[in-house]
Amino acid sequence: MSRFMEPLIVGRVVGEVVDIFTPSLRMNVIYNSRKEVANGHELMPSVIISKPRVEIGGEDMRTAYTLIMTDPDAPSPSDPYLREHLHWMVTDIPGTTDASFGKETVGYETPKPVVGIHRYVFLLFKQSGRQTVRTPATRDHFNTRRFSEENGLGLPVAAVYFNSQRETASRRR
Amino acid sequence: MASFSSGFCCAITGASNGSNSRWSMASLRSALPPSVPLRPPPSSRFPRMAAAFQPKPKLALRSYTGLAPLQSLPFPIASPEFSSFSHCFKIIDNGGRVFAMRHGRRVPKLNRPPDQRRALLRSLTTQLLKHGRIKTTRARASAMRKYVDKMITLAKDGSLHKRRQALGFIYEKQIVHALFAEVPDRYGERNGGYTRIIRTLPRRGDNAPMAYIELV
Repeated sequence: MSRFMEPLIVGRVVGEVVDIFTPSLRMNVIYNSRKEVANGHELMPSVIISKPRVEIGGEDMRTAYTLIMTDPDAPSPSDPYLREHLHWMVTDIPGTTDASFGKETVGYETPKPVVGIHRYVFLLFKQSGRQTVRTPATRDHFNTRRFSEENGLGLPVAAVYFNSQRETASRRR
Repeated sequence: MASFSSGFCCAITGASNGSNSRWSMASLRSALPPSVPLRPPPSSRFPRMAAAFQPKPKLALRSYTGLAPLQSLPFPIASPEFSSFSHCFKIIDNGGRVFAMRHGRRVPKLNRPPDQRRALLRSLTTQLLKHGRIKTTRARASAMRKYVDKMITLAKDGSLHKRRQALGFIYEKQIVHALFAEVPDRYGERNGGYTRIIRTLPRRGDNAPMAYIELV
């Protein structure tokens, strides 16, 4: 299991966003039906404009999951005073389905990395019951640890992150 | 075993039309040059990603799996997502003079004359201090670390002389003033090691190994 955790630890997702956990569920995040998100890879801003398809594993459809997408490097990685910025939250996702079956409490906001290279983290939490998760008031100054404590979510069951930076004219890739 | 032998057969098509139709492990191992212990094939979780990025090397890996030494099963420490794209083979780019050791090499030359090298390192540290995280080649990232740490140490001292020394190295004065203002809070307790390097996928144009370098 530490094979899945190594890139999360090296990329400091585990240190800054959540605490160390054991991933117990499969989660695939796919943009535009072609680009799968893998830990530490870089995606262009043109790819991540619209919301991705998030497929989750699990055994039955009775357990509900919460998906959170945050940016821990807001507004800039050298000075992240707005840490973290919440981009997307979907609650009450039934197991073995994908995120479109859940309730989108915070709508998907297109990431706009202005300064530096930002990490965008997808976290999946297991809910204790249905409709137990409260919507946060603002997108900025979001704290994932505090949010999961307040709503009884505990440690995440799956996580993945990718990098993105502003697309300038010179960056042809 | 069946898939191994079929893969191996297609690797040496036409070389010898098999006087012996039966292959034995000992004869195959002795026939081949000592193989580099290649990384074990990725698990079923990763082939989708690997196929999306590099279909060809995956086929080459498949045909050699039977010959990899069996004791390489404990997976290497580096995660497959990063090490699947940094190959184990030596990259020969200095005219064929490649050594396995670093004896006596003190300064990374970065393929540039000294004045350009200094300018490159100055601009890279300026950009890193401005943006917090940049993506560059691995050689440049590991050469930069010394200068970034030097700048942060100057800022930790904080006196006027050190500030003027920093102004002489970093290209933009806003960054120097911002650095001197925030370093005591941010790196007050940390002794050294103010950067982190994360290796990543090679660049598409020239397959240069890339890395993210970020301020801790």
